[in-house]
Amino acid sequence: MSKKRISRRKFLVSGGLGTLGVLAVGTYLFRNPIRRGIAGAIDTGETPYMGNTSSPIIWFEVTSENEIVLHSPKVEMGQGTFTSLAQMAADELEVSMEQMKVIHATSASGNMDGFATGGSTSVSALWVPLRELAATMREMIKKEAASKLSVLPTEVSVNNGVVLAAGKTMTYAEAVANVTEWDVPDTPELKEIKDYKYIGKPIARVDLNDKVFGAPIFGMDATMPDMLYGSVVRSSAIGAKYKDAKISKAEGMPGVVKIIKEPDFVGVVAHSLIQAENAKNAIDVQWEVERNWQTADIEAMIEVGKGEPFIIQKEGDAEDILNSEEGVVTSEYKSPIGAHAQLEPNGALAYVADDKATIIMSTQVVKISRDEIADRLGLDKDQVNMVPTFLGGGFGRRLHTPNAIQAAVMSKAVGKPVKCFFTRKEEFQNDTFRPPTHHVLKAKLTQDGMIEAMEHNVSSGDVAFGSPMVPSIAAPILGADLGAWRGGMIQYGAIPNYRTISWRVTLPFATSWWRSLGLLANTFAIESFMDELAISAKKNPAEFRLAQIQDNDRGFRLKEVIKAVVEKSGYKDEVVDGRAMGFAVSTDANTPCAQVVEVSIKNKEIKVHKVTCAMDPGIAVNPDQVRAQCEGAIIMGMSASMFEKMDVEDGQLTPTIYGPYQMALMKNAPKEIDVVLLQNDDKPGAVGEPPLGPIGAAVANAVFRLTGQRLRSMPLKLS
Amino acid sequence: MMKKSLVQYIIPVFLITGIVFAANYSNDKDSGYNSSGTNETVAHENYNTMMDVLMSPRCINCHPNDHTPKQGDDGHPHYFGMSRGKDNVGYEATKCATCHQTENNDYSGVPGAPEWSLAPTQMLWEGLTRKEIAESMMDPERNGGRTPEETMHHLTEHELVLWAWNPGVRADGTPREKPPVSLEEYKKAVKEWIENGAIIPED
Amino acid sequence: MNISFHINGKPQSVEIADENTPLLWVVRDILDLKGTKFGCGKAACGACTLHVDGEAIRSCSYAVKFAEGKQITTIEGLGNEQNPHPVQQAWIEEIVPQCGYCQPGFMMATAAMLDKIPNPTDEDIDNNIINVCRCATYYRMRKAIHRAAEISAKSKSSIETQTTSS
Repeated sequence: MSKKRISRRKFLVSGGLGTLGVLAVGTYLFRNPIRRGIAGAIDTGETPYMGNTSSPIIWFEVTSENEIVLHSPKVEMGQGTFTSLAQMAADELEVSMEQMKVIHATSASGNMDGFATGGSTSVSALWVPLRELAATMREMIKKEAASKLSVLPTEVSVNNGVVLAAGKTMTYAEAVANVTEWDVPDTPELKEIKDYKYIGKPIARVDLNDKVFGAPIFGMDATMPDMLYGSVVRSSAIGAKYKDAKISKAEGMPGVVKIIKEPDFVGVVAHSLIQAENAKNAIDVQWEVERNWQTADIEAMIEVGKGEPFIIQKEGDAEDILNSEEGVVTSEYKSPIGAHAQLEPNGALAYVADDKATIIMSTQVVKISRDEIADRLGLDKDQVNMVPTFLGGGFGRRLHTPNAIQAAVMSKAVGKPVKCFFTRKEEFQNDTFRPPTHHVLKAKLTQDGMIEAMEHNVSSGDVAFGSPMVPSIAAPILGADLGAWRGGMIQYGAIPNYRTISWRVTLPFATSWWRSLGLLANTFAIESFMDELAISAKKNPAEFRLAQIQDNDRGFRLKEVIKAVVEKSGYKDEVVDGRAMGFAVSTDANTPCAQVVEVSIKNKEIKVHKVTCAMDPGIAVNPDQVRAQCEGAIIMGMSASMFEKMDVEDGQLTPTIYGPYQMALMKNAPKEIDVVLLQNDDKPGAVGEPPLGPIGAAVANAVFRLTGQRLRSMPLKLS
Repeated sequence: MMKKSLVQYIIPVFLITGIVFAANYSNDKDSGYNSSGTNETVAHENYNTMMDVLMSPRCINCHPNDHTPKQGDDGHPHYFGMSRGKDNVGYEATKCATCHQTENNDYSGVPGAPEWSLAPTQMLWEGLTRKEIAESMMDPERNGGRTPEETMHHLTEHELVLWAWNPGVRADGTPREKPPVSLEEYKKAVKEWIENGAIIPED
Repeated sequence: MNISFHINGKPQSVEIADENTPLLWVVRDILDLKGTKFGCGKAACGACTLHVDGEAIRSCSYAVKFAEGKQITTIEGLGNEQNPHPVQQAWIEEIVPQCGYCQPGFMMATAAMLDKIPNPTDEDIDNNIINVCRCATYYRMRKAIHRAAEISAKSKSSIETQTTSS
């Protein structure tokens, strides 16, 4: 049966350096229902690729050196996406990994993501589309080569970017040379997974050498001739509104080119970064601040019972059963404001001249960034070219990039390229934080220690709402903020009665997506509570979980990771030689992940010696990188659970520097991390975020065994 | 009557007591110091001026009671686990000098002075009383073998000491608190106190 | 004013008005060597670590005036694809980097440590390697550091063998 997902388009011959042929496709059948896409991403991991493309759309280029350049609409921020996409493409294109190059698709290439790089969806969303594009291109090349070689297409085979037929060879580069019009064939059948050379193998990262030898690949490394440096005055106070500024002193300072006063900001452009910052510090700004916020104010807002409630999960009749007072266990948990603290600050290099703009920056939202800048500059969208770079950390921080608008405005004002970045203090105080949360969990056990009814109430600041990716009209349609309750739903489907209620609070400072969204805090609360219940039922915590899981595919996958982690770690619920093991498990999107930690305590310091992690991401396109994501997420989760905390002091978010914002360092990292990967799905699922779930509760559960202290609040500190 | 005879003796008794007291006081610290009420007060003032400075955070932070330098006016432990190392200059590769140079750095807020390092372990001052610190300072076994004259020079001329009056700005750009008296007052107090016998009163 | 030094083996001279400009910005913006990174500007994160006369220095907190007459090494000078430093070779073998932004600072700090401690214990590593990595690649870094020590030791002993056998 014929199918054609790629419409007929002219195949462009670009005159670019060494480029012979470009695969430009019209409309791949991208479904673009934002609401369905995001809701799917959060809950089931079924995210279609939401291409928001304009013609022409460049996916692949063939160079004269017979290399294939993949223009990736997903950005590389360490999660290994470039490498996985290269493997997928190489396998269907029949080229070697050495021949594959991956670059960030500029918006001018037409290849733009309508969603974002985030939500652990890059590989899963492009799993089918990218392989189909690559397979189609391969067939197009074969057909053209056959024609040039005067053989039938059926007589042609391909290997490592070379076409073979009747004893003759032709490289892909030779095949595509001078061709301007192509027939787009029916989309071929994809290969069997077992026949793949690269997919499923631990291929070394394609960006490894660049990152080891210090290549200038990040947004902050960008340069242009005649580049100037910008700095924008920012208030330290929450909710401060810019009123006016006295700029005369700054204007005369060394190296200053121009002071730009806009209705909503004032910025300096100078010949060097230091000169720009010195001048900025000499500007006297009047701010209007309505309220002097304190941590206690914020904590008072984030309380279950305050804000708007939405029932996001309901089965049976938990409300009635838990209303009685007999035998009902209630527990509360909290998590603090979390900063992204990624090492590369936000910023952009913008060049606006002659009604065109080029913006080079680290961003997770290429299209949104472009649209915002075009809007502010009054330009047509296709007059703004976004050139994304490797990110020095994303984690959700770069899902909103209003500072890029300021760089563009300043460039337009001086007619030269302007590079403008946050200082570290500004990065901390202008973050879109992981919101603080408050949880109340209730349950009632049956006589034989099974959960009869359970309820999870979670109060949180917004995650998805208020971010430009989720239009404000979505709020009333969607109801609860899906980001906030990611991971908050009860995953134990055999419990006959359960309910999850989300309480939505809007805080006075920006809160948004932080790696794994609500998963970190929600899993801490739920899995600590499950531990408390297991103890009161006198059951082994892992067995207790297994007994509450439903019999279906999802339940099966969850049970399998629990069994795998128990086996691999030798999990025993006992203290041996001053060490205890703690268990926890979560499901994020469709990926279940279970962890067991080994913990000891010395001088009130919690020491994590070893973490065993069993995860089922479906197909692991690159198992080494999946492991790397587990290792990193585990330690990042430890950092957030055990050390990190933002406060509000006299109206300011604080601290504003590493050190006082305590994070996990080398000495805190476990010396052993064992990752077991399972594959109980026939496609790749979420990888980057799921391993963040269990670690906090696992540590707290181990600490309880060692001390009898139930730590209910992150960061976990013993008193 | 008895009263009359007692009164006769009162003045001589006071006189004798005064002389005995004075004699005892001057025997206290081999100083040849002729004790009188005013000089004593001045000596204690000098001592207290000097100790107010030496016990301020700018000094105590690098004279910790353990191997961890302290930071800030609240004396919290130096971030990132920085520690004394083998020679008071940090670890083998990550040293004090990795971040601290011979001058304050106003861009980073990292303080600096020549030979930035921790005071040697014999000079652990944090948590001690002023008397204990002063005794330590004047004791050749603990002060690097210095005579009182050499100690005076160290206390008034060493660049690390003088740094306290030019302590630079913090990471957030605000100036660090200087010691409670000016450098001139401090130097005067130290010189006079040492020249006048370096008397260390009880706490 | 004019400040002269050697950087990655080459003599260099910069003309700069503010002699207190952090070396980091001279290296990045005047000399266009982007491998040394800005993470915080407050000597807290270590992303700006380079070597001055063989010692690890956080260049965001090092005034360029102090560079006069010194030998500076940045990540670009530590090694390259044809001739990688043992640390870089180990970093590649263990596939350490994720986002990669903090990695040059860690590699420079590690190279300085291996210079002083050719065979570091885990405690030596904990004490000396205190940079911040948000992707938290510490687990692989530790493996790579031990591997780099191995690679260094092997190449030293093979040089010695060559020397003695010739």
